[in-house]
Amino acid sequence: MAASRDEVIAIPSKAPLRDDSRVASSGLTIDALVAQHYGFIWRILRGLGLSSADAEDATQQVFMIAARKLDTIDPDRARSFVYGAALRVANNARRGLRRRREVVDDELPEEPEPEARGPEKMAELEQARRVLAQVLNRLEEKHRRVIVLAEIEQLEVPEIAALEGVPTGTAASRLRVAREKFRAALHALRDQNPFGDEP
Amino acid sequence: MTPDPIDELGARLFESARSEAIPSGAEQRALEAARAEIGRQPVATRRISAGHKWLAAAACVALAAGAALLLRPKDTKLGISAEPSLLAHARPAPRTSPSTAPQPTSSSTSNQAPPIAPSLAVTVKPTPSLQAMPLPPVSASLSDEVSALKVASSALGAGDPTAALAALDRYDRVLKGQKLRAEATLLKIEALSRAGQVPAASALAQRFVDQNPGSPLVDRARSFVVKQ
Repeated sequence: MAASRDEVIAIPSKAPLRDDSRVASSGLTIDALVAQHYGFIWRILRGLGLSSADAEDATQQVFMIAARKLDTIDPDRARSFVYGAALRVANNARRGLRRRREVVDDELPEEPEPEARGPEKMAELEQARRVLAQVLNRLEEKHRRVIVLAEIEQLEVPEIAALEGVPTGTAASRLRVAREKFRAALHALRDQNPFGDEP
Repeated sequence: MTPDPIDELGARLFESARSEAIPSGAEQRALEAARAEIGRQPVATRRISAGHKWLAAAACVALAAGAALLLRPKDTKLGISAEPSLLAHARPAPRTSPSTAPQPTSSSTSNQAPPIAPSLAVTVKPTPSLQAMPLPPVSASLSDEVSALKVASSALGAGDPTAALAALDRYDRVLKGQKLRAEATLLKIEALSRAGQVPAASALAQRFVDQNPGSPLVDRARSFVVKQ
């Protein structure tokens, strides 16, 4: 099929003919998206109650969704996009977990992390994470989300508001309530003495 | 004022979450899965907004050019330069006076820079006389041609040059595609290249370059030419 000399309709393209579909028309790349937001999404999913392994699977799903939608993602709102996807994936994952009658916060870690800490310190951290999961499980979903964003991701209120899609004032008051409820839940757990020798 | 033990405990809990290590290799696994997902996207959704922009733009220009040819006044003796306004919008070649006979040319130099899209360029069949020029044969519609090329492009993007070549073969044999021939040729060059038929791709690319020196696609074609 040679191009004929006498009829050519030639359109130069901004997009290269060679497939480079990892790059969106906006210039956003899936590589950059993963590099910038993988840790954020994984920790969010952990904070939302998924085990380490489930969080890994769910995070992978989030970026597969992002890959499919790469062309529609505004680079300036990429974090919001993956955050929203993470919430939906987390909901689905937790429904699946409930169906399997698995209780995430009672799970033992699948395998100890190779942290450069002593075994006592590692055990203490694992215990702390488990307690945190138990406390977070006692919160309403909207309070859980904002406290994870504020205390684990250490985001400011305007950033939380943007991710949650609510006015800044709403985010601020929601965070205040979430902190109060977190303290109350932690108090209640301590009263049940779940920490052994912990104060 | 001593800090509340509950707040201290809460801070320790949050610190434990912040310090948790992501499983080794998890990020890379996610990246590879995401990359693979791009390759698996269905034809209908796969980067149509970017990858097929040139196809869509080509379709618009070809439609305008085709319509202009069909709508041209039959009593005119003029060639391209006296075509009706529809084509003139798509291809603002300098108009010549009726007394100036148009010079048959295969060059695209007189057909550059249409106002509807600065990056578009159209070269149409030289027409010594519109009366002498037969009407184009009834063939596949433009949307058929675009669809065929989309299939080919998507197959290429999915890493299946064989399917792409099959789609281009259909474009050639069944549709007898004409309107998007240059784009089809470029896709075929790439499909051949990806299928490992580098010499064939190179030869076709060289032929395209030789025959279409003024085409804006020529640089892309040239990139497939293998220097001997």
